[in-house]
Amino acid sequence: MEADVGFILNTMRDPAGIPAPPWLFQVLMVLTWVAHIAFVLVTLGAAALSIVAFYLRHHHPHWQQLSIAMTKGAKIGVSLLIVLGVAPLLFTQVIYDPQWYTASVLSARWLIIFIFTLIIGYCSWFVFYYSNKPEAQTRLGLFALLGLGLFLLDGLIMHVLAYQSLQPDQWMNWYAPNGQVDTRGASLHAIQWSRFLFIISLSAPALALYLLAYADYYSRRSDRPKDYRDFVRQLGRRIGKVGCLISLPLLFWWLLDLPGHLSTSAHTPGWLLAGALIILAIQIDRLGSLPGRGYLLLFSGLIPLGLMALWREVIRVHAMKPFGYDIHDYTVHADLPSTILFFLTLLGIGGIFGGFLVLLLYRAGQVEGKYQADRTIARLGTLSVVVLGLWITVFFVYGFSIWVRHAIGF
Amino acid sequence: MDMLGMYPTFYVPEIGSAWVMGIIGTIHVVASHTSVGAAFLFALLATKAYRESRPELMDYVKRYGKVLLVFSYIIGSVTGVGIWYAITIASPRGTAGLIHNFVWVWAAEWVYFTVEVIGVYALVYLIEKVDRLTHLKLTWAFALASWATMLLIVGILSFMMWPGNDSWYLTGSTNDAFYNINFFAHLGVRTGSMLVMAVIVGLMIAGSMREKSPALRIEAVRTIVPMGILGGALAVLMFFYYLETLPYNAKVMLHSHLLPRYAAGMVLVVTITFIYFLAAWAKPLFLRNWITVPLFLFVAIIGVWPEERTRESMRKPYVAGQYIYGNQTIARDVPGKGILSEIEHISKHGILGIHPFIPETLRTVSEENRREVGELLAKISCGNCHSLEPGSPLRNLPDKFHGSTDVELIAAFINGPLKNGSVPYMPRIDLPEQETYAIATFIASQNLGERNRPSMPVDTTQSGATGEQ
Ligand code: HEC
Ligand code: HEM
Repeated sequence: MEADVGFILNTMRDPAGIPAPPWLFQVLMVLTWVAHIAFVLVTLGAAALSIVAFYLRHHHPHWQQLSIAMTKGAKIGVSLLIVLGVAPLLFTQVIYDPQWYTASVLSARWLIIFIFTLIIGYCSWFVFYYSNKPEAQTRLGLFALLGLGLFLLDGLIMHVLAYQSLQPDQWMNWYAPNGQVDTRGASLHAIQWSRFLFIISLSAPALALYLLAYADYYSRRSDRPKDYRDFVRQLGRRIGKVGCLISLPLLFWWLLDLPGHLSTSAHTPGWLLAGALIILAIQIDRLGSLPGRGYLLLFSGLIPLGLMALWREVIRVHAMKPFGYDIHDYTVHADLPSTILFFLTLLGIGGIFGGFLVLLLYRAGQVEGKYQADRTIARLGTLSVVVLGLWITVFFVYGFSIWVRHAIGF
Repeated sequence: MDMLGMYPTFYVPEIGSAWVMGIIGTIHVVASHTSVGAAFLFALLATKAYRESRPELMDYVKRYGKVLLVFSYIIGSVTGVGIWYAITIASPRGTAGLIHNFVWVWAAEWVYFTVEVIGVYALVYLIEKVDRLTHLKLTWAFALASWATMLLIVGILSFMMWPGNDSWYLTGSTNDAFYNINFFAHLGVRTGSMLVMAVIVGLMIAGSMREKSPALRIEAVRTIVPMGILGGALAVLMFFYYLETLPYNAKVMLHSHLLPRYAAGMVLVVTITFIYFLAAWAKPLFLRNWITVPLFLFVAIIGVWPEERTRESMRKPYVAGQYIYGNQTIARDVPGKGILSEIEHISKHGILGIHPFIPETLRTVSEENRREVGELLAKISCGNCHSLEPGSPLRNLPDKFHGSTDVELIAAFINGPLKNGSVPYMPRIDLPEQETYAIATFIASQNLGERNRPSMPVDTTQSGATGEQ
């Protein structure tokens, strides 16, 4: 039976093959997913905290200020987690197309629901964002709760797709239970709560790291006075420690929940992840209350996330092995020009224009009042426009030459 | 085993998955084109504000920016993912084909898009927060980047129509697929219409700024309206050129089904928009949102919806590059990629023999399961383009057969024009006798309105070879 399923999996691969070696897509998929999940976790954490702080705002003005800040953070976070989700979505379906497309079709309605709930959730969050002012009525918090609830639902749908992809031997049972074909795509067929809840629970440590970095970032602004920053830092430290404590048992649950036939090597990254979380908790405890360590801690948070991303992929590779599905034997028809296009765009546009934006926002946010660009930023700005102009020119000149070649029939 | 790489089928009763796609697509096109166009209007106004040292113009930009931010970018990005999901579940193999040809192009587009989402926040929040020259650079870089995303996606979209020459089939190179025959025409249409849409939104905003000084409003309106008129002219011109670059099947579809239905609406949209722009130019202070907002909806519904449906219909019978049919079968060889046509294989073994997702109980047709098999086969081989319920809006099959309950007659159509591939806008669907008969039985029973009674009452309607609608 598994051999059959495996044979079918391999025939379902796109006959066009892929334009670069499979490992390249795999690496990009894992790396870009780290970026996606980092923003997912920080956003969910910030959203939750902004709601809690909203309901506590009458206790102390710090809560009010924090609630507004987190609402805004979550607003920006959602838009970034969406675009950052696009890259792993793209790369997954290059090397795991049979799995991804089948899982999607089998829960097709939920994919459509995903889109509309994301839109509604985001709009609802915006309502909260615009109304989260000191004089706002308490019931406006409902908009935030609705927004967060829908984001969580969307995360669950994502999880289901990932998890259904891992079980090709179940697909036919889901599609045609008892031989009755169901083309409605109306169910979420498989949920692994341990995995989902663990991933979501990481939003507490993620939020903590964000708070610690936040407290450092605003050290030069008088509208975020020292006692407010200390308050935020202490809160972050507490959330970080408690969060790690909650995540660990969930992680062990997931480890136990893995299918028995997976070899021990499939568990290794999970154990490493447990170690990384413990170390992170200790570091948060040790350094969390010291000013100036926020960025270091924030970036060290990428270690557990990287391990988790790696682990997910190791699980997938192991789950596919019995079916004889191995991405490394995917047919490659190398396409150099488009590969170069991507990497040059990543460097030129992502690096220069992206760098310009990030640096500019970073610096401008630190000062009160107007920010006068320094030489580096001013040059980066000019360079961004030049590089973009160049990119577009090359795009047209190159494209036109190909187009003409077609037109005169070479 | 002779299985082919088919996927399970997702079917939406009544409207088919095609309309789901059309709805999300329309929202997406409106949102994304508006935002790209707005980026240029932004840049134009910011340049004027900078050159003439008139910071008050930035008030307008700021207000415009909030709408751009909330409405366009976010809705645009979510519905962008939405289109992708919709095509995934409607045409998994078509989507896979596009992804595997264009993954790097999409990845490059993703780089742009990520940078733009950061950029849109920078643009709006940093007005008057950073020095003006830096902000001006930001605006221009942002506008160029926004357009670049359009450049990248248009190549892929126009390949969906067709490459227009043999190169790609022979080389399999992304270059040949991307810079296809209708690329430049398509780009012109989109670039022009994005300006038009942005100007309409711009006028909405001008209309809601009635507390600002009349001079500012006049200035803002007169700066942007010419862009809208030029954009509209470009779009119309390029549209006629675009029509010239279409494949034969698309022209047939256009003349027989689409123009009769949509042409009047399109002319109306162009005329009304043009008149409105002229009026706005002449009397900027008379702008009222109870006119502009309906105009925007009018363009979206009478302009963009048919545009989306037309582009999708004209592609028929293919979903991508004239090598993948709407019913998820590979229609021809593509030697450059080592892709082989699946038509012969299917005609030899039937769908029941090659499709991995068929329950064992339905693999062989019997008297008892014929209708059930027919339903599944109809969903697989017709459901991508036809709904199966009588009276439903997506070219529903029962009505296409004029309500016929005559199994032989229905089977004759499938065994005739469909088997030979002689209808330009439909795939060649060449099935073994028993499968044809199962589909015909199902359609007849749909018309009969009763389950499991595919008997043969007399029905004298002619065969459905000349579709109407
Ligand atoms: C790739 C899309 C596609 C598929 C798949 C498809 N059709 Fe069609 N069919 C069309 C289009 C487009 C028309 C034109 C009608 C319109 O747009 O209103 C059409 C029209 C028809 C008509 C009316 C006759 C005519 O020439 O206009 C019949 C009958 C028909 N289809 C039957 C079928 C059957 C039966 C199947 C499945 C075995 C099928 N079609 C599969 C796209 C498709
Ligand atoms: C609020 C919205 C979202 C939340 C909360 C969310 C959350 C998550 C979570 C928890 C996972 C891990 C699932 C698992 O491994 O079990 C995940 C994976 C993923 N998400 Fe998101 N996500 C959101 C939006 C998006 C969007 C909009 C996209 C696409 C553009 C996206 C693309 C992905 C991809 C591609 C994966 C990996 C799937 C796989 O590897 O099989 N996500 N997301």
